[in-house]
Amino acid sequence: MSSYRRFPWLFILPSLVGFFAFNAGPILISLVLSFTKWDVFDPLNLGAVTGSWVGLENYREMARDPVLHKAFWNTLYYVLVAVPLEIFISLLVALGLNRDFPGVKIVRTLYLLPTVTSVVAVGLLWRWVLNPYVGPVNLFLRWSGQQIEAFFGFFGLSAPGVVHWLASEGPGWLSDERWAMPGIILAAVWAGIGFRMLIFLAGLQNIDKTYYEAAALDGAGPWQQFWNVTLPLLSPTVFLNTLLALIGGFQVFGLIYVMTGGGPLDATNVLLFYLYQKAFGIFPPDMGYASAIAWLLFAFLFALTVAQWQLRKRWVWEEA
Amino acid sequence: MSKQRQRIADAVIFVVLLLGGLTMLVPFLWMITTSFKEPGSLFDLPIQLWPEKLHWENYRRVLTAVPFARWYFNSLVLALGLTFLNLTSGALAGYAFARFSWKGKDAMFLLSLITLMIPAHVLIIPLFVIMSRLGWIDTYYALILPGLFDAFAIFLMRQNFISLPRELEEAALIDGATPWQIYWRIALPLAAPALATLGTFTFLGGWNAFLWPLIATNSIEMRPLTVGLAVFNTQFTTEWTVLMAGLSLATIPPIIVFLAAQKYFIRGLTLGSLKG
Repeated sequence: MSSYRRFPWLFILPSLVGFFAFNAGPILISLVLSFTKWDVFDPLNLGAVTGSWVGLENYREMARDPVLHKAFWNTLYYVLVAVPLEIFISLLVALGLNRDFPGVKIVRTLYLLPTVTSVVAVGLLWRWVLNPYVGPVNLFLRWSGQQIEAFFGFFGLSAPGVVHWLASEGPGWLSDERWAMPGIILAAVWAGIGFRMLIFLAGLQNIDKTYYEAAALDGAGPWQQFWNVTLPLLSPTVFLNTLLALIGGFQVFGLIYVMTGGGPLDATNVLLFYLYQKAFGIFPPDMGYASAIAWLLFAFLFALTVAQWQLRKRWVWEEA
Repeated sequence: MSKQRQRIADAVIFVVLLLGGLTMLVPFLWMITTSFKEPGSLFDLPIQLWPEKLHWENYRRVLTAVPFARWYFNSLVLALGLTFLNLTSGALAGYAFARFSWKGKDAMFLLSLITLMIPAHVLIIPLFVIMSRLGWIDTYYALILPGLFDAFAIFLMRQNFISLPRELEEAALIDGATPWQIYWRIALPLAAPALATLGTFTFLGGWNAFLWPLIATNSIEMRPLTVGLAVFNTQFTTEWTVLMAGLSLATIPPIIVFLAAQKYFIRGLTLGSLKG
């Protein structure tokens, strides 16, 4: 048998149906909807679609919509802070865990616990962890502030305002416009480290040990080995991990929904959450506009992927 | 000297890693202890690690105030249904791509890989439109059927079938077995580890899914656990102990599945991201 030379209908059919009904078909519908003011209650046929056709109006509206602009900047804020933090911390953790010591497997498992927990559970848990009055984070900050205040008081000095603020109040996570996004990012990084670490670990374990032996023979210390062996050989993994984190970051939704609902005052409203609001959170729903947002987001992701791919040649070391 | 320095450095790294690991664990422990605390009791210093008396009424309340058991059942149907569908269609198509050849096969394979580039959020609105036309919103069909085609599953299974030795299948063919029989009796049993990997991965994905189930259901009874807790958590805004009881119950199945199948899960993640 080289192989069976015919079209395997029975084997392919389920996937083929799924492909047309739930992938290719929807993509086409989404694209068409983004050029209409079609209403969910209209029939889904050619007449209704051409009747509600508005051309590029939805896209023009995006250029004028202040909430969309805010959502865009919020998304960028989230991505530019959360992704580097996630990548940096998870790389450090992976480097530390890429060795043999008793209990290393258990520690690895600990880091993976948030990864397998649903985003809803993570969000609800962190809403409580970050509660400004009863949450453990602020209780700890307040307690630390009081200790520092007492320390200053011991010398008859009064502590700086920041310390006083920490001791008496602390950040108003999630309910304060300035602190809401940092709160979300804290939860996101906590939940995201494990998965990134796992990918880094896989990359590290692919590095041939003989490189290190050769480097050590040439007198390279641990630091030089890291810069000249580990980092270049790991750069394809860093590239991939960063790209995945960026793509995921642009599509943050669950944490926002659970922790802040986009508030306060749209301070955490991001593109995907705004899309959800437009399509499912208002009456009557604006499916056309929401579809246009979906394609805008897709355009960002696509441009990002292409740009990363181009930059890749500059800093990713590839084996000849 | 340098050996001693090395040992000190190792110890420092170990302590930092352990502290980080505890940071991962502590919120979960807090969740569990809080779920047993007296309703209405607030977190306070000094930290009360374990309540003196176990307050099971938190669990009783979360099970009666909302249709928690029904949500649990929905999540199980969703996760298991999705897993079954995904494994079935993915293995079938993967086998076809590995062992059959037909005109346009490469183009079809490429096309299915391209769908991996399309983010899920583009599909949400049209899928909702299609499902509501079919009258399937608020049914298990809407929750599960979109998993019928999954390029990742096809890709994973194809790679796996290609790596299997052909001799057994060829021998069976000479003995007069049909492709269908060969698939069922020989190839599929040999693919068990790959199926376990894919299955663990899909089960956890289904159990934790949020955006699509949020849109595809709208009655209280049809919500999966994640969506139910997210939508109705306002009922427990001040009842942290009750909410934590609900969260503890919701977090247990994925963690058990993960601990039991950690090997497969990790292989799936790394396969999907490094070779996908």
